[in-house]
Amino acid sequence: MSEKRIGMIEKSNNKRQRVTQDRPEFSINDHHDVLVEILRRLDGPSLCSAACVCRLWSAVARNDSIWEELCFQQVSPRPSLSLRSVVSALGGYRCLYFLCIRPVLARLPKLLWTRDQLQLSLSLYCVHYYERLYVGAWIGDAPPSSLMFLRKPVNVV
Amino acid sequence: MKRSHQETYLEQQEAPSMAEYGKKLEGSSVVGGDDSIDELLAALGYKVRSSDMADVAHKLEQLEMVLSNDVVGSSNSFLNDTVHYNPSDLSSWAQTMLSGLTYYPDLDPTRVCDLRPITDDDESCCSSNSNKRIRLGPWCDSVSSESTRSVVLIEETGIRLVQALVACAEAVQQENLSLADALVKRVGSLAASQAGAMGKVATYFAEALARRIYRIHPSSAAVDPSFEELLQMNFYDSSPYLKFAHFTANQAILEAVTMARGVHVIDLGLNQGMQWPALMQALALRPGGPPSFRLTGVGAPSNREGIQELGWKLAQLAQAVGVEFEFNAITTERLSDLEQDMFETRPASETLVVNSVFELHPVLAQPGSIEKLLATVKAVKPSIVTVVEQEANHNGVVFLDRFNEALHYYSSLFDSLEDSAVIPGQDRVLSEVYLGRQILNVVAAEGTDRVERHETLDQWRRRMGSAGFDPVNLGYDAFKQASLLLALFGGGDGYRVEENDGSLMLAWQTKPLVAASAWKLAAELRR
Repeated sequence: MSEKRIGMIEKSNNKRQRVTQDRPEFSINDHHDVLVEILRRLDGPSLCSAACVCRLWSAVARNDSIWEELCFQQVSPRPSLSLRSVVSALGGYRCLYFLCIRPVLARLPKLLWTRDQLQLSLSLYCVHYYERLYVGAWIGDAPPSSLMFLRKPVNVV
Repeated sequence: MKRSHQETYLEQQEAPSMAEYGKKLEGSSVVGGDDSIDELLAALGYKVRSSDMADVAHKLEQLEMVLSNDVVGSSNSFLNDTVHYNPSDLSSWAQTMLSGLTYYPDLDPTRVCDLRPITDDDESCCSSNSNKRIRLGPWCDSVSSESTRSVVLIEETGIRLVQALVACAEAVQQENLSLADALVKRVGSLAASQAGAMGKVATYFAEALARRIYRIHPSSAAVDPSFEELLQMNFYDSSPYLKFAHFTANQAILEAVTMARGVHVIDLGLNQGMQWPALMQALALRPGGPPSFRLTGVGAPSNREGIQELGWKLAQLAQAVGVEFEFNAITTERLSDLEQDMFETRPASETLVVNSVFELHPVLAQPGSIEKLLATVKAVKPSIVTVVEQEANHNGVVFLDRFNEALHYYSSLFDSLEDSAVIPGQDRVLSEVYLGRQILNVVAAEGTDRVERHETLDQWRRRMGSAGFDPVNLGYDAFKQASLLLALFGGGDGYRVEENDGSLMLAWQTKPLVAASAWKLAAELRR
């Protein structure tokens, strides 16, 4: 009697286990577009951390639309499509963020991020692109960089 | 932070600040009567009678000598423990310090001091003692030939350096070349021992004076153009002056061409074309679509291929950002040789802009040239002319005045390079070489060789006005952009944008260094 009962319980247990095994588990790594959507809503430091999680996430984080979202987080109105083509021609939003916007924000943390700062960052980015195009016979190893002033730490009051 | 302080006690600093250098004191010149308080010092919080100025200066110099020679322990305790009841009275303060430090009998009832030498806790004071400095704050007087009113600003060893430099220049002015020779050697040795920006500036000025004395005129043609290019690029990267010039001029241009379908810019000094990428990018993002952009760059004949290559690079950039681009190069030895028909203007379809960044002042070297150039500019009928020039009068007739002006100007410039500390050492050296070449030209060259004939904004205003141009206000956007750019450069808030009657000036520690202005044809000529 008890063995039969045990057997019935086992069968029903197995059935339950089989049911849970049949339903697939959700893994974010299988859904890159969802991952992109999540990453788009992150702020700078979090996004950079996310890009260091694993190779897959690092590759996904190279998606420029994520960085575009980051660059324009506080700017309104939304920039035009022509801006996107210009920026991608100059090297993309990710580079823009790392070369210009992040140092600017770090340099002036109390600054309200508006279109003016974005415009200035864009201009500096454009100059940087041109400077890399314009390589003459430089004395020395590294080509010059007009953004060098943004990279070094400085005492800002 | 290095700034004009009003403290009266000695402070410890890392390196001497250039902003304090003024000219030497002459006891005779006085404003407002013999017994009145000197107004310049009063603005800083010190009360010194004008009649006492020479005496105070003498005491301060003695004090400096005593401090530099004094034994560490005793002077430090005295300096830290003394209470000054009336610190704004410089005269009595200096007397107090002198008496205390040289152990003279105390005659000043307001002084309270401790003369016991204190032997403990002295090791930390050893190095700092040598950096002590009496700061009186920066100010300077405008140079005019009649009233060379100047004030002594004390630096530990810098005072002797400035004195020697000015004395040498005076000797050169008076054609006393043997004295000048002796003095220039003294300057050289003093400059070598002076740390910081002052030493470097003094070295360049000493070299320039030496060249002037021995009549070795530096020839501007003997310069390797690729080195020149390297220096300019480096100066662009390391300091905000060129960036300020370009961004402000671009903003003025953008505001003038908002409705244009075609833009034609004539750049009187193309150099490396660093100004135009930012303008093209801004034009590309103009609401309503970009206009067509035509650039006519003017350069030296020796650089013809370089200019063509530059045009290609700019075309590449224009294609990347989606702006229709056309490039023309004009090579000429002298800007005054430019003629109206060289430019192929298309007034029906294009808005014309003429741009000059630091290109107008060399034209002053030949008499009559600037008028001819401005007449040519007027003849092409530009909608806007942007002019950026150094804000200094280095074109005076009297050598000594030029020298004093240049000393003050380049001291500020070197100080700003030193202070921002953003640039690695090698790049700073290159920037200093770039400026040093200008110093050489201002001091040592004469006649048509002297091309660094900087003039102030007011002087340029008069010239542009008499040539038939009206000023255009640069507007708040330009001011905002310039302020933001300078804030990014750090320098501890030393850089400032100042508005001057519609034009913008970049100042370092309140001394204006670069002035940007915009001009349009006078009303009756616009039709």
